[in-house]
Amino acid sequence: MATILVHIALLAYTAGAAVFLTWLVRPSPGLVRAGRMLLLVGVVVHFAAFGVSLGVAGAGLGVKAWKGGELFSLLAAVTVTGYLLLDFRYELPVAGAFVGPFTVAVMVPAHLVHSNARAIAPEVSHSIALFVHVGAAAIGTAVLALAFGLSVLCLASERQMKEKRPGRLFARLPSLDLLDRAGYRLAVWGFVFLSLAIATGSLVSREVTGSPFPLAPKEGFAVLAWALFASLIQARLVAGWRGRRVAMLVVAGFVLLIGTYVGLLSAAPALRGTAA
Amino acid sequence: MTLLCVGLSHKQAPIAVRERIAVPAEQVEGRLRQLKSLPGVREAMLVSTCNRIEIFAVADSRDAGEDVLETLGPVAAPHAVRRFEEEALRHLFRVTASLDSMVVGEAQILGQVKEAAAIAQQAGALGPELTKVLARATTAAKRVRTETEIARGAVSVSSIAVQLAHKLLGSLDGRTVLLLGAGEMAQIAARELRSQGAHELLVANRSPQQAEELAREVGGVPVSLAELPSLLERADVAICSTGAMEAVVTRELMARALKARRYRPIFLVDLTLPRNVEPSANELENVYVYDLDDLERVAVQNSDLRASQVAKAEEIVEQELKAFLLASRERTAVPVLARLRAHAESVARAEVEKTLASLQGLDEKQQKTVRAMASAIVNKLLHTPTSRLRTEAGRGPLGEATAALFGLEAEPEQPGEQASSEQAQAETAAEGAVLPLLRKR
Repeated sequence: MATILVHIALLAYTAGAAVFLTWLVRPSPGLVRAGRMLLLVGVVVHFAAFGVSLGVAGAGLGVKAWKGGELFSLLAAVTVTGYLLLDFRYELPVAGAFVGPFTVAVMVPAHLVHSNARAIAPEVSHSIALFVHVGAAAIGTAVLALAFGLSVLCLASERQMKEKRPGRLFARLPSLDLLDRAGYRLAVWGFVFLSLAIATGSLVSREVTGSPFPLAPKEGFAVLAWALFASLIQARLVAGWRGRRVAMLVVAGFVLLIGTYVGLLSAAPALRGTAA
Repeated sequence: MTLLCVGLSHKQAPIAVRERIAVPAEQVEGRLRQLKSLPGVREAMLVSTCNRIEIFAVADSRDAGEDVLETLGPVAAPHAVRRFEEEALRHLFRVTASLDSMVVGEAQILGQVKEAAAIAQQAGALGPELTKVLARATTAAKRVRTETEIARGAVSVSSIAVQLAHKLLGSLDGRTVLLLGAGEMAQIAARELRSQGAHELLVANRSPQQAEELAREVGGVPVSLAELPSLLERADVAICSTGAMEAVVTRELMARALKARRYRPIFLVDLTLPRNVEPSANELENVYVYDLDDLERVAVQNSDLRASQVAKAEEIVEQELKAFLLASRERTAVPVLARLRAHAESVARAEVEKTLASLQGLDEKQQKTVRAMASAIVNKLLHTPTSRLRTEAGRGPLGEATAALFGLEAEPEQPGEQASSEQAQAETAAEGAVLPLLRKR
């Protein structure tokens, strides 16, 4: 049942992505409405699939194993939710053309490519800290993915304004000011969730390994990304940085965060436990 | 006589060239007098705007074109275009109808051409030939504006500047606009920005009195140009049109302001020649400098949308041009027509007098009736030959055949016939014919 629901969600995401990409070529308000609706249907069905899955497993805080695919699936659902909220606040259909394909790109390998289950160490399988850590990391990553998307659009728009050769995309983009403000706000929220994820992650790590900050790629990338976002926020508040500089820092920060996930999948001592 | 057009526009020369040969408004009259004094130049008009420096002249021959070109200086020579006769005429029609403008369909060029004509008249450089050409060009331009939707979608340079301000800053609510100088386009843009929510409109000018007057006109606050550094710290959009011969907003000045404004983006629109904003200021972070050429690039995108309307406008210009050329060519048939009519009227008058002399006892009313009858016969008989000769416009054999058939060419003009000739010329002119600016082909 859960698998069927996930496939339905994936179909809705794919259709939504196609509609938003069509909108880029032939803009029309109808296409924007259709794209939003498809993504909304997709995300509702997707969360329903998670509900069914957890219900069947009788899980909750007692989850004993995890799959990389599930993590990315959760990330996709949270990103689409974040986009829909962002779109409701700022009306950013052009970001839909980024989020739609991104979601499909994350979902396809997450659900169609087989991945082995990895056991969760018994010391933390009932830990609230782990539950909060995973939730905060998923939300933080999704929010920063959106900030990354807006920052890329901001850089593209800024370049076209500077070079004075506005292309086709330029007409679809919102104002540079809006991209800058929205991107920065998302980066701040992403930083908050990332901080929470790192703090709770260190608690989990101490339970499993005895060290709150083990020297591993996952933690290293996470702390580097956190430091970068912290510097970015400070530069904005103190020196008034904005526009291109901030957008480039957000892009760099998100790339570092991706490194965290690579580290997680390749060697995740805190979660791997003993029976992987 | 030949109509010629020598000069360049935004299509031939970049802004860096145009700003070097721009003719300040106060020097235009002097330049026109200089043109008028050139050998063979009878009439001249100088259209000098931000986007074009073009001289339209009536000269004895094409050779005058080189002398006219020399007056523009060596910088202009490699870029300048020389147009003669029909090509020059078509160009003037297209310029006046805003089909050659940076922003096709903009309304200001018609006023600028009219103003150029007024200055030429003031300088004594405008004669009957250019006056007639301009009258027809204006008619074509007005038809284009009323019969097409070319002006509806847009699009003046100032409106493009406003669009870009939105693209950079989003909503203009609470934004500050700085107007530097008193250029017409800058005023229009400033008013539009104000109407779209800009919170504050600061008006700076070299003369405090002018700043105050302008501020009253556009609903802004007068400020002193001496405060420019602090004004650049406050403004979100600065529209420059001062008429100064050097940059008013330099890169260095902007770099200092940028720090103080904590890198808030600023949109600098330079609507004048020579440029008032140093182009290298665009290299600074969050500083966006757009000059006239930059705005053109954006305008070109908009003009694609109105391609069908542009085609319609071009058709109107061609119609007016053809009508003008036909009228011009018809004029070449006038001497034969005038002599033919004079000859026929002379014969009729002689016959009427002879008849009246033989018919005794007619009262004045009856004599008038006989004269009217003779005149009607002449008119009816000459109607078809007149219209055929006009249609042929001096290009076919009918003119010469008529002259030979009626023995017109050998007859010296009598005072009465001369009067008829003048009358015929007056009639032709009233129908829109002009002096032969265009060579008979």
